Amino acid sequence: MLRQAAISILVAALALSASARTRPHYGGTLRVEVEGDPWQRPGGMARRLVMDGLTTLDPDGAVQPALAIRWASENDDHRWQFWLRPGVRFQNDAALTGAAVEASLTASCGASCPWSVVHAVGASLVFTGDSPMPNLPALLADDLYLIGTPTDSPAGLTGTGPFALSGDLGNHNHARVLANENCWRGRPFLDAIEITGSRSVRDQWLDLSVGRADLVEVPAEQMRQARDQRLTVIASPPVSLLALSLSDSGALANPNLRAALALAVDRTALSNVIFQKQGEITASLLPASLTGYAFLFPADRDLDKAHELRGGVTPPTLTLAAEGGAAMQLAAQRIALNLHDAGFSVQVVNAAAPQHIDLTLRRFTLESSQPQAGMESILRAAGLAVSIRAQTPAELYKTEREIVDAHLLIPLLYLPRAFAVSGRVRDLRLGADGTPLLDGVSLSDVQPDAAP
Amino acid sequence: MSLRQKLLLLLSLMVAIIVAAVAWTVLVRIRMVFEQRDQEETALFVSQFQREFQQRSAEVAAAVDRIAASEHMRSIAFALAQSSDASSFLTDAQSIAQDTQLDFLEIVGPDGNIVSSAQWPARFGYPELAATAGEAAFLKYEDLPDRTTALGIFAARAVRGAEAPVHILGGMRLDQSFLTDLPVAPGMQIYLYNDLPAEAITDVVSKDGPPPAEFDPRLLFSASGAVGTAARFQSLIDSARRGGQPAAAVLYLTSRRQDSVNATAIPLKSRAGAVLAVLVVAVSRSGMVDAQQHIRAIAYGVAAGGILLAILSSLWIAARISRPIEQLAQAAEQVAGGNWQAHVPERGHDEIGALARSFNHMTGELVSQRHRLVQAERVAAWRELARRLAHELKNPLFPLQLTVENLIRARKLPLDEFDEVFHESTRTLGMEIANLKTIIGRFSDFSRMPTPQLEHLDANDALRRVAQLYFPPAARREQTPVADANSEIEFRCKLETASDPLFVNVDPELLHRALSNLALNAMDAMPDGGTVTLSAQSKGDAVELRVADTGSGLTPEECERLFTPYYTTKQHGTGLGLAIVQSIVADHHGTIAVESSAGGGAAFVITLPRAEESVL
Repeated sequence: MLRQAAISILVAALALSASARTRPHYGGTLRVEVEGDPWQRPGGMARRLVMDGLTTLDPDGAVQPALAIRWASENDDHRWQFWLRPGVRFQNDAALTGAAVEASLTASCGASCPWSVVHAVGASLVFTGDSPMPNLPALLADDLYLIGTPTDSPAGLTGTGPFALSGDLGNHNHARVLANENCWRGRPFLDAIEITGSRSVRDQWLDLSVGRADLVEVPAEQMRQARDQRLTVIASPPVSLLALSLSDSGALANPNLRAALALAVDRTALSNVIFQKQGEITASLLPASLTGYAFLFPADRDLDKAHELRGGVTPPTLTLAAEGGAAMQLAAQRIALNLHDAGFSVQVVNAAAPQHIDLTLRRFTLESSQPQAGMESILRAAGLAVSIRAQTPAELYKTEREIVDAHLLIPLLYLPRAFAVSGRVRDLRLGADGTPLLDGVSLSDVQPDAAP
Repeated sequence: MSLRQKLLLLLSLMVAIIVAAVAWTVLVRIRMVFEQRDQEETALFVSQFQREFQQRSAEVAAAVDRIAASEHMRSIAFALAQSSDASSFLTDAQSIAQDTQLDFLEIVGPDGNIVSSAQWPARFGYPELAATAGEAAFLKYEDLPDRTTALGIFAARAVRGAEAPVHILGGMRLDQSFLTDLPVAPGMQIYLYNDLPAEAITDVVSKDGPPPAEFDPRLLFSASGAVGTAARFQSLIDSARRGGQPAAAVLYLTSRRQDSVNATAIPLKSRAGAVLAVLVVAVSRSGMVDAQQHIRAIAYGVAAGGILLAILSSLWIAARISRPIEQLAQAAEQVAGGNWQAHVPERGHDEIGALARSFNHMTGELVSQRHRLVQAERVAAWRELARRLAHELKNPLFPLQLTVENLIRARKLPLDEFDEVFHESTRTLGMEIANLKTIIGRFSDFSRMPTPQLEHLDANDALRRVAQLYFPPAARREQTPVADANSEIEFRCKLETASDPLFVNVDPELLHRALSNLALNAMDAMPDGGTVTLSAQSKGDAVELRVADTGSGLTPEECERLFTPYYTTKQHGTGLGLAIVQSIVADHHGTIAVESSAGGGAAFVITLPRAEESVL
């Protein structure tokens, strides 16, 4: 009996301690290292920690309320009205008003906003556009439209997010954010997050391995290597579209030549070798997981057809630039070789070169799991301002077909976003666009009595 | 040109030629020696360099060998054999190349396709034809992602122990940094000419491939970069490119000889034998040229000094030789001028000394002979004078004697006959006494020739005066013969005067007397009549007066004795006329000569020094 009681007590204690380990604790500083700038778009992690948008996307990609609690459209989506969440204050204790939101949105996109006019009406914002804006709620979740306001603090900017900036934004290699005790979402578990930028992947992994970093980036092409090195990798679904953006002027004004280029690229080699089989070959703008009809866009290389479409014309040397790191540059080199096989002369140049660039290899993030919003965000990022109004898959396919057949954007691969974490990081999830959702992260090595 | 100048020139030329010949021979020989030594040195440098180059090639081959034998590569080969998935080795070539400090490295799979490329990572999956294992390193052009082409030394090896053949193709760039790493001797420059044919630029370009493109100076570079004088190497490089064999030449990089180099062009060939590049080893000749110029300057200096010394010696030698001869010449001139006392110094016992002694002896003999001659002539003249005097005096004395004897005999005759004889004898005595007085008067005149009273006179006027005196105007103007006053002999006068005045400083009367005498003699020489020509002409600094006749002329013997006092060819006369004329001419510092031949008439030529023109 006594023995059974002791065993029961022991089991209960173990169960209690186990349950205590699963409960997150407040406190601690998360150390994040990235290759890029911690603040600047795209990919500046600190932005979403400091500022909120009118809407947000959940991990499944669905649009959720954020600073706006509800919205409605009129006039065939030419007019939208978003009502602000009441009681929200900026980190400098200023109230969130329609005017402040209007000012922030106007400053964010300037003349390239999807809407024509935005103005505050009381505690709401009214968006009007010359073109229909069916996907405006999803668009407003983009980090371009996060709401912030200038402040006199050393950071110079304040938001409504779970963290507040600490220090000067001028230091592009480092951003430190502190927990916002009065966040409308509630105080985050972490006390602070330090994001160190301009750190090479190799150094990030080294810091992770020696305990100087908690969260580091894992490029898609190095995911296999990271796993081989026993790193804890968290990867998103394929949300990053690798595509060639073509100019429609100069040598590529001829659509046949653009079509020939599209047929000359060997996606298989890109996927299997450069990106180490971590990507999905695609010739469509949206991934198969989102539409189901991606197979209708042939992705195989057809050199004969490419030669035929080129028609014996020898265009002048085309310039190809790649945005991104070594893998992107390598992919650009490979694409140049592929195009050379099709009879094109391509010179890989620096993306910052002051010259006309015919082809640009870029990555586009699939911001939303809604196909229309996702396509529209990709197209808008590619400079093709198209309003996607397709309601049915067939209409969506037709729209996508038209866009793809114009060959101004040649989809190549869909790649995941991945990060490696240390053992102390808990509850890290990735958003719909593969961005780590740090506001819900806690650290396992924080003592319970460290709670605020 | 004087004897001294000729001797000086001759000696100087001889020595200069000899010195120049010696100096030229020395210089040529020195240059030959220097050039030979320079070429040997260059050949040594080139062979050393070639060994170094081959050593670098061997190092590349050794590095590739090590890579092929490494555990890492064997594991890659094993993995490739197990699975055709080569994607995980994409970046291996880069890291291996970095570790081994190779510029090029490719891992080629069993299918001959590139698994991983250090120089062009994106070329995975493309075939690599050059990955055929061989022993020696080879040259190859390698395409690069920036659309350029680089030349490199490559070596290919198969990975040992691999079941399926996996090859390693590694290499090092043959570029400026390669040249920088090569050890070069001082004064040596290494250049590399990358021969980029217009078409295929891999090592499979055969010897019979496309012809080499035109020389492009931009393709020639050294360890320090582009070569400014690349065009100077064109012919040498082209020779190596086209012939495929090393070529050597002396190249002048600038207009200065010091900037010349001994250049050797070594063609670098691919495995197929095509010339892919040309290595040029240039060894500076500045040291040799400077030494040559230094020696040449010394040679020129010595030659110039020698020539100068030769000239000075020649001057001295010429002076020693020519001075005695000049002295002899001057002495001979003096003798010719009448100074028979001229004497030359007698030095030495050589031919010049003997000549001087002979000259002095000659002048001494001349002086004594002249004395003897003068004495003999005096004696002869006295004898002639005595003979002539006796002859002249004897003629009138004989009638005197006869007349006196007649008077003595006539004393015995009756008075009236005595008176007739007395009157006739006294008349005869008077005539002969007058004749004697005339003869004595002539002798007296000859012995007392007056001192000339010089006046500025036009010689043409003197002739005209004589012509007017002895020939009437008609005879002179029309050359109409005029009869002699005493006979019916007809004489013509031809007066040829100069158009310009011929001024002389003479005593007009004495000159008239001389010319009159000559004119009378001319008429006497033409017993049957003839033409007397009186002419005057300028002869440089002298005036020539000529009195010619058309008589029978004079023999040479007569010409010799003509001016001897009391010598005459006439039946009558004292024989003093021409002597008086000669005396007058001599007193006026002139000369008189006779030109005649038997039967051709005679001409007496008086030459007087010309006077300055009259200021009047």
